[in-house]
Parts: sequence; C-alpha cells; structure tokens
Amino acid sequence: MAYNGVKVRKNIGDSLFDIFNTIFWIIVLIIIIYPLWFVIIASVSDPDAVIAGKVLLWPKDFSLIGYESVFGHKELLGSYANSIYYTIAGTALSVAVTMMAAYALSRNFSGRKFVNFIFVFTMFFSGGLIPQFIMNRRLGLYDTRLLLIIINCVSVWNLMVARTYIKMNVPNELHEAAIIDGATHFRYFIHVVLPLSGTIIAVLCVYYGVARWNDYFTALVYIRDRAKLPLQTILREAVATLTTSTSTDAFFSAYEGDVKGMTEAIRKALVAKYCAIVISTVPAVVLYIFMQNYFVKGVMLGSLKG
Amino acid sequence: MSLDVLIRKKRKAGLFKRIGQAVKRDWQLYILLLPAITLIFIFSYLPLYGVQIAFRDYKAVFGITGSQWVGLKNFEDFFNAYYFRRLLSNTFLLNLYALLWGFPVPIIMAILLNQVEWPRFKKFTQTIIYVPHFISTVVMAGILYLFLSPDSGIVNVLIESLGGKPIHFMIEPGWFRTLFIASDVWQHAGWNTILYIAALTGIDPELYEAATIDGATKLQKIRYIDIPHLTPIVVMMLILSCGSLLVSNTDKALLMQTPGNMVKSDIIGVYVYQMGLTKAQFSYTAAIGLFINVINFIMIITVNWISRKLGETSLF
Repeated sequence: MAYNGVKVRKNIGDSLFDIFNTIFWIIVLIIIIYPLWFVIIASVSDPDAVIAGKVLLWPKDFSLIGYESVFGHKELLGSYANSIYYTIAGTALSVAVTMMAAYALSRNFSGRKFVNFIFVFTMFFSGGLIPQFIMNRRLGLYDTRLLLIIINCVSVWNLMVARTYIKMNVPNELHEAAIIDGATHFRYFIHVVLPLSGTIIAVLCVYYGVARWNDYFTALVYIRDRAKLPLQTILREAVATLTTSTSTDAFFSAYEGDVKGMTEAIRKALVAKYCAIVISTVPAVVLYIFMQNYFVKGVMLGSLKG
Repeated sequence: MSLDVLIRKKRKAGLFKRIGQAVKRDWQLYILLLPAITLIFIFSYLPLYGVQIAFRDYKAVFGITGSQWVGLKNFEDFFNAYYFRRLLSNTFLLNLYALLWGFPVPIIMAILLNQVEWPRFKKFTQTIIYVPHFISTVVMAGILYLFLSPDSGIVNVLIESLGGKPIHFMIEPGWFRTLFIASDVWQHAGWNTILYIAALTGIDPELYEAATIDGATKLQKIRYIDIPHLTPIVVMMLILSCGSLLVSNTDKALLMQTPGNMVKSDIIGVYVYQMGLTKAQFSYTAAIGLFINVINFIMIITVNWISRKLGETSLF
C-alpha cells in the first residue's frame, strides 16, 4: 500500500488479521451456500441415495423423477400460475400507487403533515388480524383474488423511502422550470419524476414482488377455494409439515393408485419436495440477482435517509 | 363592531380562502394521494373501527354494532386464561433470545467485510450473504423439516453414521428456539449488515490513511475508527429493537409449530390465529390482539422517544 509516495509496509498483525478474516468469510460463505447447494443436488438425485446420506457434495444417481412429480402435480402448477398473476398484478399496482403518493408527499402542500401522519400511524398501531379479517369479510373481499392483490398494497416504509429518494434525486429547479412552462403536477410526475426514478422503481419492484411471491399467510387466512391459492400456501402443505414414517408425504403421493405405485410415490415424494423448493425459490432469487446493482444502492439510500 | 371581532372574521374568511386556494393549487396532488389513502383506509383504518368487537360478544348475524357489549370481559378471560403467562413469556423470550443472538452478528459481519481488501471477493461475498433473505418463510421451514427429519434428513443421517441416535428436532420443545433463531440469523444476518456497511462507507477515507501512516494496525483502526463511528447507530438500533420485544413472528412460528413443541412455540400471534380463525372465537382473540398491540404501541413510542432524546435520529 502506498500513500503519497510513502510505502507503508504491512505489519505481521495485519497479515494475520487478513488471513483470519479470509478464513472467517470462507466459512460464512460455506454456511450460507451449502444448504442451498444441498437442496439443488438432492433435487436431481435418486431418492434412495438421498435417504442413505450418499448425496453430500454432488448429485448421486442423477435423476429427474422429482421434477416429474412436481410438474405432473396439477394443483401445484395451478398455484404457481396463481402466484405469477398475483405477484405481477400486485406489484404493478403497489409500485404505481406508491410512486404517486411518494411524489405528492415530496412536494409541499396544505395538509401534508396530516396526510403523513395518517400513513405513519399505521406503522405503529393496527387493529390486528381478527378485526381486519372481520372487516374484509364484511366488505365481501373474503375468498376473492382481488383481496390478494390489493391487501398490503402500500407499505408505508417503502413509501417513505421512495419519497426521500424523489426529494433527493429530482432537483427542485426542474419543478420550478416546469411550472413556468405551464406543466401540471400530472405532466411533471409522468415526464420528469418517473424517468429520473429508475433506481427506486427497481427497488420497489423487488421489495413488493418478493414480498408477494413469498407470502403464504394472507391466503391461509382469506382464501378458502383451493383453486385460488398461491404457491407458498400450497407449498406449505407439501414441504413445511411434520412427516413421520407412518404418514409420509401425503401431498405428492396422494395421486398414485395401487400399493406398488404408493411405495414408489413415497420414494419420489422426498426428492419432489426438494424440487418444489427449487422451483419456488428460483424466481425471487433470480429477480434479486438481476436487480442487485440498482438494488444495493437504493436500499442503502433508504436505510440511511428513510 | 369592535376591532378584534373584525379581525377574527377576516381570519376565518382567510382560512376558508386559504383552503379554497390550496385545493385549487394542489388538487392534482390530492388525486395522486387518493389511491394510497383509499387502500390504507380500507386495510388499516376500517379494522380500527372493527376493533370494538373486542368489547362485544361478536356474532356475525348481529353485525358489529348489533352484537352485545360486554365491556372488558374478553380481556379478563385472557388474563385469567391458563395459557396467559405461557403465551406472554414464550413471545417475549423468543424475541429476547433472537435479539441477543441476531443483533451482534450483522455488526461483526459489517466490520469484517469492510476490512476485506480484494474488491471482487468483497462484492461476491456481499451478493451471496443477501441471497437467503429472499427465500420464503415456507421454504425456510421446509428446509428445516427436510434436513432435520428423523428418518431421511441429512443431519440425522450424519448423526447416525457417527453412531448417534436420531434427534427429533422439530418435535422436541428444547430445540424450537434454537432452530427458530439460528435459521433467522442464517437468513437475515447478511441482509441486516446493509445499514452498518452504509454507515462504514460514510467514514472519511482520510481517517484510515492517516491511521495507516501513523502505523495503526487493522485491529486498531476497527477499535478507534469503525467502532466509534458505528456506536450511535448501534445504540439507536438496539433501543428500537427493544420496542418490538412482544411482536409475534406469526408466519414462521406457525410453520414451525408441531404438537410436540407447543410448550415453547405457542406465541401470541399463533394463538390468536388458531383460536380466532380456526375456532372462530373472534371477540376473545380480537381482545388479545388489541391488548398486545397497545403494549407494542406504547413500547415503540417510548423507545423512539428515548432514541430521539439520545440522538438526532428516530423512526419518524
């Protein structure tokens, strides 16, 4: 390392520190990556090899029977389609509504403090699950697809982050110039604010999109008709339940007929669970990886100034 | 008419005029706010109206205001309930242990990540440690059930191959908190470094350069530059986290609850869900929810007030 031409030698303490730090991070990376890696290799291995503990670092007896079960499972596929629909529609609505409100809150107008209070108050106090359930049922939203799209549509936290972003990144001079040119708030919002807000829109898409994709609880509470259930709620029945050797894996094995088919199905069901985890997790992680460059910048901004 | 009456009249007229002018000038902003306010009204403020069922014996056929008023009966029932203390202590202890384990880890990670010198390794590490945050709670619980299954899970297969006896991780109550918190740390510790990394990035590089020239080691730089810079934000985060010590992580606890581990996994949020929605005891559970929400509200306002007293920063 050299500062202003002065060569500074690394002392032994620093070298040791670097070695320990590197080892620390390699261990952390292994702890984070290995469970995910295991899920992937188990999903393409033969069930017997998985049960016998032979799958440790690489797939063993490569097979796709798990994926066959998953892609042959109509209810699971249907819920997958549902989730895609809820996520896209819900996220589009959330981002639009949030950006509109965030822009308005970034400007000065009479009553702004009051409106701000109306939003922020909901972060601190809520009626609770049961009153919300009762009210939504009285509104006729129980067991509707509409509810899954419009509930939790505005996250006040995201709204505040977006407002701060607009305040800091869209220069006020632009607004003054636009007003002199006779632009209205609508025109200014669409033609100036939105084009300058790419980063925050990307952040909102990931936040809202992942939250919707991963939510199982709302549908558990509000949806009765199984044909409307999203992926995560179905997935819960498939993977996140206690299985004992007597009542194994009812979810994936329910479809087979005779006894012979039954044992084969139970065998398959184990890997099918790993496969279901893979196909349900890929969209969220891929979205994150694609968006991460915007993302980390935007989130840092939010965490500092939000 | 005396002068002050005239002035008052003028002021009143001024107020209406001002509102008129404001609407004329800002109506487009109000329109932009309308969708968000409508949604917040439906899903956050209407339930506040519905909260009154906590004081009634709610029967759907009679409607909300038509149901009989019972005052504080539902609250008393809860305070006298057999499970009252268990629910409260389970909720509190789960959060307390989660804070004790989960709070320091991101800070340590941020400080150590800040010292990694190889930019590509740093970037790669940063990308990877955020990934688990994007995994759903269902998948997280699913991974636990699969890995820890007594007959086919990798963990027990390894335990058996080393000569041990399989452990029923998801059934034994003693394992519940450990697994809950460990998986939480695994999932979110990396993500939670963001705040601290942002704070560390804000440190003036000249400080490090001056320290290097003065012969400071990395440990000394951490001790005398990083830690003092992080202290205010760490204190603030710690205080704020104390405000949510009774908030239930219902989603996850519900997924990880099995008949075996009820003793530890029964927390308020899960109890409200089960009694309220699967057993339809609406008024009783609405009262429990209201009771705990009021406590949480008071706690959050208090800690926010404290942190505002201590520093410039606060939640709102």
